[in-house]
Amino acid sequence: MTKPKQLLEDNVGKEILLLGNESIARGVLEAGVRLVALYPGTPSSEIGNNLTFMAPHIPDFYFEFSTNEKVALEVAGAAAVAGVRSMMVCKGPGLNVAADPFFSLAYVGVRGGMVIIVADDPSMWSSQNENDSRYYALMGNMPLIEPSDPSEAKSMLLQAYEISEKLELPILFRTTTRINHTRSPVTFGPIQDRPKKVEFVKDPFRFVPIPSVARIRHSWLLKQIELAMEISESTELNFTIGSGNLGIITSGVSYNYVVEALSTLNIDAETLKLGMTHPVPEKMISEFLKRHKQVMIVEELDPFLETHARRIAQLNGIKTNILGKEQGFFPRTLEYSPRIVIEALSKILNCNTSINWKTIDQKASEILELPPRPPLLCAGCPHRATYYAIRVATRGKAIYPSDIGCYTLSISPPLETADILFDMGSSITTACGLAEVTDQDVVATIGDSTFFAAGLPGIANAVYNQHRISLVILDNHTTAMTGHQPHPGTGVTGMQEKVPPLNIAKVCKGLGVEYVKTIDPFASLADLVAAVREMTTWTRENHKPSVLVSIAPCALLEAAERRKTGEFPTPYYVDSELCNSCKRCLNRLSCPAMYLDTETGQAVIDQTMCNYCGTCVAVCPQGAIKQEDV
Amino acid sequence: MNSNTVSIVISGVGGQGVLTLAEILAKAALSDSHNVRVGEIHGMAQRGGHVVCTVRIGAGAQGPIVDPGTANLLVGFEPVETLREAHMIREDGCVLLSSHIQYPVAVSMGNASYPPNKEIIDSIRKFTNRILEFDAMAMAKEAGSSRALNMIMLGAIIGTGLTPITEEAAIDAVRSTFSKKFESINIKAVKMGREKVEDLNR
Repeated sequence: MTKPKQLLEDNVGKEILLLGNESIARGVLEAGVRLVALYPGTPSSEIGNNLTFMAPHIPDFYFEFSTNEKVALEVAGAAAVAGVRSMMVCKGPGLNVAADPFFSLAYVGVRGGMVIIVADDPSMWSSQNENDSRYYALMGNMPLIEPSDPSEAKSMLLQAYEISEKLELPILFRTTTRINHTRSPVTFGPIQDRPKKVEFVKDPFRFVPIPSVARIRHSWLLKQIELAMEISESTELNFTIGSGNLGIITSGVSYNYVVEALSTLNIDAETLKLGMTHPVPEKMISEFLKRHKQVMIVEELDPFLETHARRIAQLNGIKTNILGKEQGFFPRTLEYSPRIVIEALSKILNCNTSINWKTIDQKASEILELPPRPPLLCAGCPHRATYYAIRVATRGKAIYPSDIGCYTLSISPPLETADILFDMGSSITTACGLAEVTDQDVVATIGDSTFFAAGLPGIANAVYNQHRISLVILDNHTTAMTGHQPHPGTGVTGMQEKVPPLNIAKVCKGLGVEYVKTIDPFASLADLVAAVREMTTWTRENHKPSVLVSIAPCALLEAAERRKTGEFPTPYYVDSELCNSCKRCLNRLSCPAMYLDTETGQAVIDQTMCNYCGTCVAVCPQGAIKQEDV
Repeated sequence: MNSNTVSIVISGVGGQGVLTLAEILAKAALSDSHNVRVGEIHGMAQRGGHVVCTVRIGAGAQGPIVDPGTANLLVGFEPVETLREAHMIREDGCVLLSSHIQYPVAVSMGNASYPPNKEIIDSIRKFTNRILEFDAMAMAKEAGSSRALNMIMLGAIIGTGLTPITEEAAIDAVRSTFSKKFESINIKAVKMGREKVEDLNR
């Protein structure tokens, strides 16, 4: 694994294999960024994961895991207003959370360079939607830059700060999963110093957008975008390569697929590769369209460049045939590949594809049906015990609003305790809505990091409006799904300093929740079931929200700790004398460390995978699951 | 896609060390001055689910994606997960398959069945005839740790001779990546994997 330490090396010219996210973390250093604030979200997570361990070693640098993306954008935005270089990082849906300050920030502008990194997720490898964040740039009038690989992620980041300072505007820097999570060679550049502290020079009639100020700033912003257009026309971020009758306009990761497809089919074409995609270089595009009878537009997700190209063609009376998504040459969903470009090229140029994919697809569809292997709660995950208890206590009949994190995986059988989900924090608020229009019990679940990120307004709402909801907070002391980042309940900051953690139960009491209890999900499964039953009864009788905080650390952290210390508990096993093959353990828990021995018909615990939680012991009616004596 | 590019698809189960193997391969390739790309998927995909990862080595490697029918090498950590990606392999491509089964939960719950080994191999044969099968889990345990499974596969990849990666570069990458504590086990596993595939190819 690339270590954060390696990213700190002052070694100009060194070539190193980096993930796109690691390259951006290195770029922070090379751009002299003074402050970075973010809330973790895959596919952007490793930016923060590296910066948090780099931060204590970088002089005059501040890094924080903010409580959510809106907070992060405000923290970073203020730093740039004060006059230092700053950065905010989020995943696509995270920018939705930060949308409110996003628009204001463009109006007031910044004094120091600022970059907002947004990691979109075509194919939704780890997101709830694949919305195309480029429209934020269009809607908010913020310049947009899109790298196509890890190397550009760093070099273009440095240019983004230059442009930001020229325009006094933040730059939206959009990556996609295949840039964030691609590893490729990247060359180190020099590290820039950062200012110690700056003086905040007041200018309220710029930085406080009351209506009279905002009216002036909107016109200012549109003028800045005109200046940005001039940059877009002349910057080396936008360039053409190759020559041929066919024209191709592309940006981001798709550029790579264009290069590979042309090379595979041995086709000549002129490609306009856009690194700055808002504002698009209108003259450049107009000239490009004029040069070609046919221009193919290759971009993942929505027809963003395509719409621009059609608009520019119409404005300039250009008759070029623009070929993109509108005529069905390219899909609007999921990520692209060289194949998608090759297939479009073969349709447009009426030639054969390099490979007969029809045959391959046909053969693939004939493969025998394979058992599915979706992601699961890990062996030893405390959420498994909690969800088991919720299900048993409510006999599977309650409504289970879920939230964003590992625990959404409880959607799968046999736990099946995720019924509705919109976004971060929606477990509590959807529960409020459901409780008003149904008579069913509502048991919502939310993780600790999500609780601090987006749960608090929902709780205040539930308390004040007296909603009949039960909320189980799954506190595993970390932001597990995105790679174990700290949050306000953990007691560690982004600077790796120890601070007093916020106590979730106390926060709930402070917000006015009358019924707040805590429990260890591994102490006793029977007690856990009883606790859920008690809270749902209380909620029903009192018509008010109740909270149960289920506290046990993430199994992956526990496992890593055991590997470090080399101290392992004695193993759990199934006593074959007592096991009567009822399969209750397998059918109720779906623990990845347990499987069925097809010869004996009995359950077996895979010692290499077991994380020693012991939940299965209590689930076995025969008492056949035991822990070896010390 | 290009003749000067080697595309490798690695398929397994979250937690088996698929991503780590990809990174080691790429590091080794880069240390020998080869251009390289690795395509990874994180997050949701890691939690015990099917994980697939790509490594592309050579001048033609521009993006991380390997298209169906274009992989020179399919490295399967588990039988069903190998078959799940069989469509990625070229007709003349080679499949490395570890025969150790990790049962999906759906099978344990009786909601799905695990296909017999013969059916799995026959299905893969529809895509290529070059299949090298061995129990990498047993070999890893023999080397000293079940967690060295990916190191067995690393050795096996080198043993095919289909990549420009040398055993020296691979071992250097292993040394510079992992703690000293597991170094001897890891290096032993790499050698065992390489020898196994050389034997099978003989």
